[in-house]
Amino acid sequence: MMENAWLIPIFPLVTFLVLLLSGGRLRERGAYIGIICTLASFILSLLVLMERFKEPTYKITIDWLSIGGTQLKAGFEINQLNALMLVIVSLVSLLVQLYSKGYMKGEERFSTFYAYLGFFTFAMLGLVMAPNLLQLYFFWELVGVGSFLLIGFYYYKQEAKNAAKKAFIMTRIGDVGLLVGIILLFWGTGSFEYGEIFQAVQSGVISNEGLTLIAILIFIGAVGKSGQFPLHSWLPDAMEGPTPVSALIHAATMVAAGVYLVATMFPLFLASSAAMQVVAITGGFTAIFAASIALVQKDVKRVLAYSTVSQLGFMMLALGTAGYVAGVFHLMTHAFFKALLFLAAGSVIHAIHTQDIEKMGGLWGKLNWTGPLFLTGTLAISGFPLLSGFFSKDEILMAAWENGNYLLFALAVITSFLTAFYMFRLFFMIFTGESRSQVKQVKESPSIMLLPMLVLAFLAVISGYVQTPWFGTFLGEWLMEGNETLLGGNSHSEGPVWIMVMAVLVSLAGIFLAYMIYAKKKLPRSWLVQENNEFYRVLDNKYYIDEIYHFTVGYAIKGLSLFLSYIERFIVGGVVSTVTISIEGLGKIGSKLQTGQVQRYGMIAFLGLAVLLVIFAVTGGYLR
Amino acid sequence: MTLSGELIAFFGLALVAILGGVLLITLTKVVHMVIALVFTFLSIAGIYLLLSAEFVAVVQILIYSGAITIVMLFGIMLTKHQESDEPAKGGWGKITLLLAIAGFAVAVYLGIYNLDIPVQPATLHEENTKQIGIELFSKYVIPFEVMSVLLLVALVGAIVLAKKDDEEGDQS
Amino acid sequence: MTGVPLSAYLVLALVLFCIGLYGALTKRNAVIVLISIELMLNAANINLVAFSKLGVTPSITGQVFSLFTITIAAAEAAVGLAILMSLYRNRKTVNVDEMDIMKH
Repeated sequence: MMENAWLIPIFPLVTFLVLLLSGGRLRERGAYIGIICTLASFILSLLVLMERFKEPTYKITIDWLSIGGTQLKAGFEINQLNALMLVIVSLVSLLVQLYSKGYMKGEERFSTFYAYLGFFTFAMLGLVMAPNLLQLYFFWELVGVGSFLLIGFYYYKQEAKNAAKKAFIMTRIGDVGLLVGIILLFWGTGSFEYGEIFQAVQSGVISNEGLTLIAILIFIGAVGKSGQFPLHSWLPDAMEGPTPVSALIHAATMVAAGVYLVATMFPLFLASSAAMQVVAITGGFTAIFAASIALVQKDVKRVLAYSTVSQLGFMMLALGTAGYVAGVFHLMTHAFFKALLFLAAGSVIHAIHTQDIEKMGGLWGKLNWTGPLFLTGTLAISGFPLLSGFFSKDEILMAAWENGNYLLFALAVITSFLTAFYMFRLFFMIFTGESRSQVKQVKESPSIMLLPMLVLAFLAVISGYVQTPWFGTFLGEWLMEGNETLLGGNSHSEGPVWIMVMAVLVSLAGIFLAYMIYAKKKLPRSWLVQENNEFYRVLDNKYYIDEIYHFTVGYAIKGLSLFLSYIERFIVGGVVSTVTISIEGLGKIGSKLQTGQVQRYGMIAFLGLAVLLVIFAVTGGYLR
Repeated sequence: MTLSGELIAFFGLALVAILGGVLLITLTKVVHMVIALVFTFLSIAGIYLLLSAEFVAVVQILIYSGAITIVMLFGIMLTKHQESDEPAKGGWGKITLLLAIAGFAVAVYLGIYNLDIPVQPATLHEENTKQIGIELFSKYVIPFEVMSVLLLVALVGAIVLAKKDDEEGDQS
Repeated sequence: MTGVPLSAYLVLALVLFCIGLYGALTKRNAVIVLISIELMLNAANINLVAFSKLGVTPSITGQVFSLFTITIAAAEAAVGLAILMSLYRNRKTVNVDEMDIMKH
C-alpha cells in the first residue's frame, strides 16, 4: 500500500484541475468531485497508516536534477509522523469539504471554492510526504498560495483582500528565513535529504554556532507559518476567509505545518540547545500572549484564532522542551478539537449571521446539536479530564517540568487556566443568558454540516487515549520506534502526580470563573478588569502589535520607498528625460532636413557620392 | 598631335554640345532652354557619326531632337504659367552643389584623362545598320522584346496618368 | 589614323553629365529637370558608343545598348511628362520646390 502513497496528494490535485478546467460550470456538483477525491485520499492514507504500524519506513526517490556531482531528488517518504499527518490532513479536509457543502450553499463561486480546497489539500499532503527539504519548501510555498487564495476568497471585501495580502507577506518573511536556513544546511552538508542531513549533523560537520543559526532560521519559517509571536498577527486577520477554510487551514493543517517542520527537523534542533531554548521560549510566550488577547476579543472567530495561536505556542513549547511526542500528540488532538470548534462556530454564524458574541446568547435550546458539539470542543481544549486535550496538555506540562524549565512550566499552567476561562467565556456568551440576536427564527444547520462535527467531536473525545499515563503510551512508542537516537528517545514524559491534579484544578477554576461571570452573572464583568481600563484596552488592541508594525516596519518601508521613488523620479528620470530630450532634438534637426524637396535630397545624396569619390581619388585606389 | 579633320570636327561638335548645355543653365526662358538643348542633341549625333555609329546618330536625331524635344515643348505649352524659370533662392545650396560637382568632375577626370587603350581595327562603319540589326534580332532579341513591352507599359501608363479624371476635371 | 583619343570623348561626356546634373538639381521648372536628366542619359550614351569603337574589344554591342538606353529615355520622358501633367492639374504648378506634400 505504501508504495502507492503518491496517489494520496494526486486525488485532490485532480479535483483542482477538473474544477479549474470546468470553469465553474459544475456549480454545486463540484462538491461531489471534491468529496469523493478527498475520501479516496483519506482511505488511502488510513490504509497507509495501518500498514505503517507493521512495516518500516518506506521511502522512494528518483533523481530529479543532477548538477555537477549533486543529485537533487524527488519522491516521497512514509514514516510515522508523515503517516499520522496524512491521516489528519486528509480526514480534516474531507470533513471540511462535507461541511462546506452545507455552509457555502448558494455561493456563486462554489466550485472555485472546492478547487481551492483541493489545491490546498494537495499542497498540504505533498508537504507532509516530502522526503527532502527542497521538496518540502516547494509545497510549503504552495500551501501559502492556497492559504492566500482561500483567505481572499471573498475578494470583493476590502478586509479579506487586505488579510490575504497580510497573510501572504508575513508568512513570506518566515519563508525567507526557512529558505536561507535550507541553503545554509545544503551548503554545510551538501544534501537536502533528511537522513543525510541528520547524519551529517550528528557527525559534527557543522559547527555548533552554525547549527544554532540554521535551526533558528528554520524555526523562523515555522514561526511565520504557525503564527508564532512576532509573526502571529496575520492569523487572526485570516479569519476573513470562509469559516470552513479557517477550520481547515488556520486551525488544523497549515498552521500545524510549522510545528510539523520543527518536528521533522527535530534532530537538528536537538543538536543545538540554544535553538531549543529559542523554540521553547517563543512557544511559551506566544501561548500566554495570545491567550491574554483572546480574553477580551468579541469576534467568535478571532477568539478561536488567538486560541489557535496560543495552542500552537503550546506545541512549540513542548517541542522546545524536548517533548517531541507531546508536541505531535497535541498537534493531533488540537487538529480535531479546533476544527470542531471552528465548524461549530461556523454553524452558529450560519444560524444567526453575526460573528459578534455580544449579539449572541441563549442559543443552547435553539441549536440542539451545535450546542453540545461546541461544548465538547470547549471542554476538550480546556483540558477537562478524560477528553483528548486533557491528555495532550498534560503531556506538554510534564515535558516542560521534566525539562526543568520551571518558568515555562508556570507560563504553561497559567495559559491553560486562561484557555479554560476564555473558551468558556465564549461558550457562555454564545449559548446562555438572554438572546441578544436580531434573528428571531434560529435554524439548526443541515445534517451535512452536523455530520463532520459529530465525527470530529467523537475524535476530540477519544483521540487522547492513544497516549495516556494509564492505558499505555502507544503513540509515543510508535513514534519513537527506530528513531530513539535521533529524537531523544523519550516516548513519554513522567512527572509528579500533582501536576496532573493541578492541571485539572486550574482548568476547572477557569471554567468556574467564566461560569460565575458570564453565565450566573454573580460576579460583574468588571470584576477582573474594568472595560475601559488601560490594560483592557491594550488587550483589546492585541498589544498594539499591528500598530507597532504599522509605525515601525510600515513607515520604515514607506520612507525607504519614498526615498527610492524620488531617486527614480529625479535621478533616473532625469537621465532618461535628458536622453529623450537630446534624441528628440536630434530628431527635430533631422526632420528639418526633410523638406520634401526632391532636389535637396538628390543634392545631399550626390554630395555624399562626391565626397566619397574625392576621398577615393585623393587617398588611393587606381591612382597609386 | 596633328590637326586632322576628325579632330576639328570633334572639337566643333563638342564646343556646340557644351555651349548648348551652358545655355540650358544660363537662359531664363524655358522655351529657349529647350531649343538650346536641341543643339546639344544634334551635336551629340555628330559625335556618334565620328564614332562610326550612323544608325545611332540617326536615331538620336529622330528621338531626341525630334520626339523628346517636341514632347517637352508640348509639356511646357500645356503647363506654362510663368514664362521664365526664376532662379531658386538658396545660393548657399548652389555653391555647395557646384563644389560637389567640381569635386566629382575632378575625381572622375583624374580617372579618365590618360586612359589609353590601343586602338583596335574595327569594322563598325561597314554596313552599320545591318550589323546592329543582326545583333539585335539574334543575340539581343529577348531584351528587345522586353523593351517593346516596356514601351507599351509606358504608353499605357502615360495615358492613364495624363488622362483627365472626370470627377476631378469637373471640380477643377 | 590618328583619331580623337578615347579620353576626349569621355571628358566631353563628363562635362555634359555635370551640366545635366547641375540642371537637374537646381532648376525649378520640372520640364527643365526632365530635360536635364535626358542630357545626363545622353552623356552616358556617348560613353557607350565611344567604348564601342575605342574600347578594348571593339564591337557593335555598345551601339545596341545605346539604342536601348535611348528607348528607356523616351519612355521615361513620356511617363515623366504624364506625371507632370497630372501634378499640374492638381497643384497648378510645375515648380519642383513646391512639390513637397510627401514630407509629412
